[in-house]
Amino acid sequence: MKKKGLAFCCATVLMLCQCFVSSVGAITDEQSAAIKDHCETIRENLKRVQKEDSRVRVYLGGYYETILSKFIVPLNVRLVENNLSSAGLVENQNKFAAVKADFADDFVKYQRELEELVGMDCKEKPADFYDKLTAVRQRRQVMVKDVQRMRSLISGHVQLVESLKGEL
Amino acid sequence: MEPEQKKSKKIMHGGRNLVILGVVSTVLAVMTTGVSLAIYHNSGDIYLDRSRPGYLPDEEEIENEEENEVEEYSFEKSGKLTAEILAEYLERLQAEIKAIDAYEQPFDESALSDERLGIPVVEPDSPEE
Repeated sequence: MKKKGLAFCCATVLMLCQCFVSSVGAITDEQSAAIKDHCETIRENLKRVQKEDSRVRVYLGGYYETILSKFIVPLNVRLVENNLSSAGLVENQNKFAAVKADFADDFVKYQRELEELVGMDCKEKPADFYDKLTAVRQRRQVMVKDVQRMRSLISGHVQLVESLKGEL
Repeated sequence: MEPEQKKSKKIMHGGRNLVILGVVSTVLAVMTTGVSLAIYHNSGDIYLDRSRPGYLPDEEEIENEEENEVEEYSFEKSGKLTAEILAEYLERLQAEIKAIDAYEQPFDESALSDERLGIPVVEPDSPEE
């Protein structure tokens, strides 16, 4: 009897969860009609975002590469040469390189999803289009986090160098 | 076989070989180009290529780039390390950080919001009291 009751509870919770998940991604009739009516405008806006993101990625990626290869790595090499090696700075360098790689990979994933979204037929399948848009937004949030992580590592590096400067 | 017949047969064969060579070269060129394009796309390099049509930087961007050009600098990997050298290092690094910070909210979430894309915004249902 207890087992039956437990199974009933689990099934109810599962059904409620499914209802919740489907309601989160669902779009209203009004939204569906708007996507159909303004399909071309929406796609033009997405293409504009694609172009702008490409520009930001190229510039930020360039700055990150410069900071790693022309500042952080040479400094750590020089510290070792002067027997001043700092574990914190080396750890920071490794993290910086790893997050920089994540930034590059996540951008490719994001752009692939965005490209698929731009290529979708929003007039015929507005609901699918909106679902894809939601997925693209999530990818974009990952990019925001990557940029924040990079900025935080740069600040950490500056702090470590400042304290090292104080010790010399 | 007559010598004249032999000569005309040779010419015929030569022409056929030339056509085969042309076809093989074209097929090879199409195949290698296809492979190159697949690598270009799958590696993600396509998304960094700003020479694509529609992705070219506009005049204003080029002008800004020329104006804000930072002097080429690379920290020396060898030599003595003093507080003055580290101060210069930090000063140079700040120029790069300033350039990064010039991008306010990169990949801003609002760029893909319903409102910005022209989709009616659905307000979440307010809880009943």
